[in-house]
Order: sequence, then C-alpha cells, then structure tokens
Amino acid sequence: MGITSNLKEFILEQSKKDYTPYIILSVPLLFLVIFLVWPLGMSIGKAFVLRGNELILNNFTFANFQRFFTSSMYQRSLRNSFVISFSVVFFTLLIGVPMGYFVARVEMPFKKLILSLGILPIITPAFVGAFSWIILLGKQGVVRYMVNKVLELVGLSLPPIYGLFGIIFTMTLTYLPFVFLLSHGAFKSANPLLEESAMIMGASQSRILRTITMPLILPSLGAASILVFIRAIGNFGIPAVLGGQQYVLPTLIYFRVNGFWDLNGASAIAILSVIIVVIALTIQKKVVSAREYETISTASSEHKLHRHPFIKAIAIIYCSLVLLISLAPQITIITMSFFRQWIGFLPAGFTLENYKIIPQIASKAIKNSLFLATSASLLTALIGTLVAYITERRRPKGAILIDFTVMTPFVLPGIVVSVALLSAFSSGPINISGTFLILMISFVVRRTPYVFRSVAASLTQLDEALEESSTISGASWYYTFRKVTFPLILPGIIAGSILTFATLLQELSTSILLYSAKTQTLPIQIYNAVADGNFGVASSLSVLLLVTVFIAVYLMNLFVGESASSGFKLG
Amino acid sequence: MCSNIIYKDVVKRFEGKEIVNALKGVSFEIEKGELFCLLGPSGCGKTTLLRISAGLESLTTGQIFYGKKDITTIPPFRRNIGMVFQSFALYPHMNVFENVAYGLRVRKESKDIVRKKVTEIMKLVGLPDVLRRNPSPTALSGGQQQRIAIARALVYDPEILLLDEPLASLDAKLRRYMRAEIRRIQKTTNITTIYVTHDQEEAMSIGDRLAIMNNGLIDQIGTSDQIYHHPDNMFVANFIGKMNFFPGTIQEVQGNNCKIQLEHNQKRLDLFFEMNPKREQEISKGKKIILGSRPEKLTISADPEDDLLPGRIRIIQNLGKVTRYEIAPLWDSENKLIEVDMEEKLPGIKEGDTVYINFDRKNTLLFSGKKAI
Repeated sequence: MGITSNLKEFILEQSKKDYTPYIILSVPLLFLVIFLVWPLGMSIGKAFVLRGNELILNNFTFANFQRFFTSSMYQRSLRNSFVISFSVVFFTLLIGVPMGYFVARVEMPFKKLILSLGILPIITPAFVGAFSWIILLGKQGVVRYMVNKVLELVGLSLPPIYGLFGIIFTMTLTYLPFVFLLSHGAFKSANPLLEESAMIMGASQSRILRTITMPLILPSLGAASILVFIRAIGNFGIPAVLGGQQYVLPTLIYFRVNGFWDLNGASAIAILSVIIVVIALTIQKKVVSAREYETISTASSEHKLHRHPFIKAIAIIYCSLVLLISLAPQITIITMSFFRQWIGFLPAGFTLENYKIIPQIASKAIKNSLFLATSASLLTALIGTLVAYITERRRPKGAILIDFTVMTPFVLPGIVVSVALLSAFSSGPINISGTFLILMISFVVRRTPYVFRSVAASLTQLDEALEESSTISGASWYYTFRKVTFPLILPGIIAGSILTFATLLQELSTSILLYSAKTQTLPIQIYNAVADGNFGVASSLSVLLLVTVFIAVYLMNLFVGESASSGFKLG
Repeated sequence: MCSNIIYKDVVKRFEGKEIVNALKGVSFEIEKGELFCLLGPSGCGKTTLLRISAGLESLTTGQIFYGKKDITTIPPFRRNIGMVFQSFALYPHMNVFENVAYGLRVRKESKDIVRKKVTEIMKLVGLPDVLRRNPSPTALSGGQQQRIAIARALVYDPEILLLDEPLASLDAKLRRYMRAEIRRIQKTTNITTIYVTHDQEEAMSIGDRLAIMNNGLIDQIGTSDQIYHHPDNMFVANFIGKMNFFPGTIQEVQGNNCKIQLEHNQKRLDLFFEMNPKREQEISKGKKIILGSRPEKLTISADPEDDLLPGRIRIIQNLGKVTRYEIAPLWDSENKLIEVDMEEKLPGIKEGDTVYINFDRKNTLLFSGKKAI
C-alpha cells in the first residue's frame, strides 16, 4: 500500500510540475493557426469583397463569384478543370489497373525493376514532363514529325500536343504511378483464400475477378482515384506549359493575381476549386467507405501467379509499352540537354554548353532552391513530428480538428495556399510578400501533412507501454521524448523529411505566385526557360533537378525500405 | 451422389529456391460417406494433400480418382466439391445470404431454388434465424462464421467436402462443441469428407478413420481405437497420445513371456511380459528393442520392490480425472521425463519424492527400428 500511494504521489507531483510538454507542443499549433487557419480565413473573407475594398460586412458581395455565370473564360476554365480531372482519373484507372494486376498476378521477369521505374513519373516534376512532350509531340516535335510523315500518305496529320488533349495525356502519364502502385498493392495483398474458395465453388476466372477480386480492391482504387483527382485539379505546371488558350482553375488564379493583382477574385476561384475537391472527397468517402471491409483474418499464403505463355506475353508487352511511354520524358530531356536544338528527326548540334552555362545563369536559383528546400524540410519535420505526437499521444479534446487542419493542405491545390498566404501577409501590418520567409512558410504549410502522416504511422506502431515504463521509472516528459520516443520514431521522421525535401525541390505551383527576382527557385527558372523556348538550358537544369530528386528518394527508400509511394498515400 | 476417393502414388514436389518434397508417394482410399481425418504435425504434408484433393495444387506425379473419374488434371471449379478454410474465407463484401448462395449463383440456379436451398442449409447448420437480419459475416461470432462457411460449402450438394483445420480459429470450448456439430452435419448429409487437423484429440473424436501423416508419407491408417492401441511405429504412438519409451534388450523368450533387460547406468532390471502371438517370429534373443507404455498403463508406488524402476517426481499436475506425475528416472540421467497418469492421487507423495514405477505387463508395446513388433 505504501509503495503504490508513494508512486501515485510521485507521478502526480511530476505531472504537476512538468509544464514543458504544454510549452513545446503549443508552438506547432500556434504555427498552424497563424500560417494556415488565419490565411485561409482571410482568403475566404476576401472572396466576398471586391478588390481594393476593406474587409468589412458592409462591403459583402458575391460579385467575385458572379464571373462564373457571366465570363465565358471562367466557365471554360471550370469546364476544362472538370473535363481534365475526370478524364485523367478515368485514363489512369484504365491503364494503371491492368498494369497493377499484371505485375501482381502474372509470373514475369524484372518485377522489381518495373516497380521502381514505375515510380519515376511521380518524382519527376510535372512541368518537366510537359515540356519534354512538346519536344516529342509539339509543333516541331520528333515523334509528331515521324508520325506525320506516315499519315501524310493518307492525307491526315497529328495535331500538336497543345490544348486539352495534351494536358490530359501528360497528366495521365504523370499520375499513372499512383493507380499502378496502389492497385498492385491491393491485388497482391487481397486474401488469396477468398478467390480459392470461389474457385472451389465452381466460379470461373472471369467470374472471380468480377465478383470477388474487383469488389475487394475497390477501396484502394477509390483512394488512388481521389489522389489523382486532387493532383490533377490542382496542377499548375502542365496546363501552364501546354494549355495555350485553354485555361484551367489554377492557371486562371495565376492570371488573376499576376495580371490584375486581384487576390479577391483569385480567392473566389480558389474557393470554388476547393469546393470541387471537397465534393470529390465526399463522393469517394460515400462510395468507398460503404465498401471498406474489415478483413476477417489475414492469410499467409500467396497468390498463384498466371503462368500461361499467352497471358505472360500480353503482360510483358503491355507493361513495357506503358513504361516506355511514361519514361519518354526522362529520356527526352536527358538527350535534349546535350544538344542545341531538336527539330525534325534527330537532335542537332551536340554540345555541353547547356551544362557549362549552368553556374553562370542558375547558381542563384540553385542556391535558393537548396536553401528553401532544406530549411523548410527541417521546419516541416519539427512541426509535423510535434503535431503527430500531440494527436497520437496526448489526444486532447479536438484532436480530430487538429488532424483535419494539418491535413487540409494535402487536398488544397498549391496555388490556393499561396493565394491564402498573400491574402493575409501581402498588405497591412505584416507584409512579407517577395521574401524567402513567405516561400518557406508556404512550403512548410504545404508539406507538413507528409511528415505528419509518416510520423503518426510510426507512433501508432510504437507500443505506448515503452513510454509509460519510462515515466514510471521517473523520467520527465522531455527526457522520455528525447530518450525513448524520438529515437524510435526517427526513421519515420527521416523518411517524411526526405520525401518533403524531394518534393519541395520541384515545387512550382506554390512558388509561382510568391517568388520575386531575389527568391527565384530552380523550377521557376526552368519554367521561364521553357516559356522562352530555350529547351536546351531547360533540359540541362531539369536533369540536374531530376538527379538530385532521385538521390533523395533513393536515400528515403534506404530508410523506409518500402516503395516510396507509401509516403504519397492519403489517409 | 457422393463418391469414394482413391489416391495412387501421389507425389508433390515444390520447386523454388529449394526443393521441398511435400508428398513422397501416397496411396490410399477414402470410402464413400466416410469422415476421414488427415492428422499430423505441421509440415507433414496434410494440407498439401488436401489442396491437391481440391485441385488448388497440381501433383508432380500420381493420380487421384473421385469414384471412377480420374480428376488428376481437372481444375477445381469443375470438380464439384465444397471446402471450408481455416480462416473461413467468407466474403466481407457480401451478406450472409449471398455468401451461402455463391455456389448456387455460379451454377445459375433459379431464384426460388437459391432461396429454398439456402434456407434449408441454414437450418441444417443451425442458423435459420441469421437470414432474417442477414448481416455481413464480419458482424458474426467465430462459431457462426464457421457454420456459415460449412453451409456455403454444402449448399450446392458437392460430391466431396474438404475441411482445412476448420476449428483452429475457435476457442477451446466452442471447438469441442463444433466438432460434434460437424460430425452431426456430415452424418446427416452423408457426404465423403476429408478433415485436416493437427489436433489429435479432435481427429480421434470426429473421424471414422484417421491417417497419420509424417514427413510427406502416411504412417498409418485406421480407426482411432486401432491407432491408439496398436500404433504401427513410435512416431504414431507418441503423436496419438503420449507414450513413454524405454530402450532395452531381449534376454529370454519363454513361451508366452519374454524377459527384457532395460538399459540404464547403474543396475539391470529384468521384466517379464506377456507375448502377443503376432510378435512371436520377430522376437529373438539379444534383439535390441524399445518398450513403449502409455502414461495410464504405468503405476507408481512409494514402496521399493525388486523389479520396479526408481524415479524422482518433478511435477505433479491435477488434470481433473487423473493426476499426472512427471518423473525423472534415477537410472538414466539422460532419459526424458516419464509421464504417469494415476486415477487416484497417492497420499503423502509430493514433488521431489522418490517413487517406483511399475508396468502393466499386458499393455506394453515393443518397437524395433521405430516400428511396432
């Protein structure tokens, strides 16, 4: 009795005294409130007043939204965004699901290679893919040139890649890996006994696929679809490079801000695109969670692989073809970076000039990019880790609210984040527009979900008894965190941070509205080089960027051991 | 309707990084309407044999017949069989009715027949009321899931029913109840059934006949009585129930009795055993044998007598019906602990005491080269 009461007293005393957790843990929450909740609130407010008017109730108006009813440009952008996002989801499913099935269920060589090459398109900056397709399928594109030589004979010609078709085509290839990898995982991990039992009951292969396999992997397909949808509707680089006269919501926002400095109008467009995302998420949740099944038991046995030579041949040809097409951008820009120009069949004028010129023209952008990506990753790691710790371990009232807040940027188009930050911090008492600070804040806000998810996953796997036993031994909160919790979740933190670093290096959609001459980053310089038609330099800079990103992702794989895609997953 | 199953020289070799000989030539027959248990330790090949019977694995060589039909190369969905998996493998995306109806839907039965047959089979497995709420199977208890899995396997009148450790995921009490239920359902439908388990008590209580498998081969087939009382070899003897082994040498054969000298370090003990006529030709003077005795056929006493074996009690366990004494033999330090089950607890004997072990001379088995003689 003496011992337990002493112990109780001791713990009580400790917890009374120990204010450290409250102080330390309130910092990240404060950050989220100031740099996420407040800017979003400002942005929503501004959407309901006209440009130049004060944000007060008397100025309330729907005028900014009325343009969607009056302006044909607005209507077309909205329609384009819809058409593109849904088409991209449709085509990624159409192409990615068979590929996932083949790699998971057919016996074939080089599966590991296919899986790792399959990731490349997501870790390649989207706008790099877009401009490499201009080289291949643009007005003077190589492939188009060749195809047209043939089509000429029958009096036809392939149109250049600009416009809706090109955007859908490039986005489909860019986001294909999400569907491929998620459906591959689902096909692989579906309980094989369920299919075997159907076979025993007399069901044919196609019936099993229709009645058992597909319904069971539907939740994974739903998750992949929403991931692709969110990215497709928020992507700025691809429609900016390939869109021409065809605007989508993100390029329209850019147009509003860059052309008219109309943050109010831009906010209204931003709100609309967020509403679309929220509706899509709701539909996905409705459709999918109704079909989210708890598995009755986990099976240890493995799927039988198809060995039929015919099926094998189809699978191998299909996967090689898809890989070849989706890796064409990487091959193209590497080639392009060594030549002066590429018009007609072969690139012309071999040169190393594109690389030699880099230090001269891009050293500032490279330095800026590295500085911003590194510092923002560190800050993201800190905030993401602490917030994950709060929601997983402290579980305060409203933990769900914190979870929701921190995940919001994951579904927000990047350009919406920058509109929100500009709404709050480009005028009035705090004006940080054009500084490194606003870029860094936007990066941190946008990527905190990555570290948050990664660390939260590590924490749920970590037995709480380890921390409790440290407390029982008399350790303070800070001591326990430093000596027990932190070392054990470190792999999760590192994985999330490197992923953050890799994606921040190629960030364009947030920084496009926030950069100034002083703070220009590497992706922006590439984007501008593309806009100027300087493809050689754009390519050499892209290769530099790609190599850096690949090294980062490779390092992350060393830490996680799993496919890099896990970090991209939603929920 | 249902048929017998004949296995002819069934061999299964898994060729991966290393070659595994899962079945090394198995031949036997399962009779029509029989509930046949495949029993053995994990890795003995029993599950492989079941999966081969279902057509989920192909055989390397050999043949399998259902009745007169050679089904060796027929894929599982054309075999008309039912199977219950250890994990039940119920479909989480279908309700109970659709789970049970799956095989009928595959067979394109009319709506009325599906409804009638599902209702009937649910009555047979003792869950007629579940259909009224018709929930997802995930919402049901383990025992109910088990019954639904059985219903699903039986509803389309298969020729053969295969059960793969069907009770392994249930708790102990439910397991005893469900095994009686499975036997009842099997006897009602009279379907030829193969039942795989690693639990010897379960196999003995449920099976008409048992096959004891070890290391890719069938060691013995028989009723539980035959196997328990007349095991063919030491593996079977010790797998079905416990058997204590005592190595020794035959000293003398005198008509119905033979004199055996047990091996030990300090002294020699001579014991007489009654002869089984079957054993006669195998037994000769000087032959090394191993003597086997079940725990309930040994007795202990506190009084030293001439030809009793001394031992020290390590542990006394009260198992309800019997008291189990685990005894370390004093004559051989390397020997394993000997188990003795006594119906009555000996008064005044406690752990650490020295006791003397006596044999039931009529109920002792002799083994030579691991085989029973």
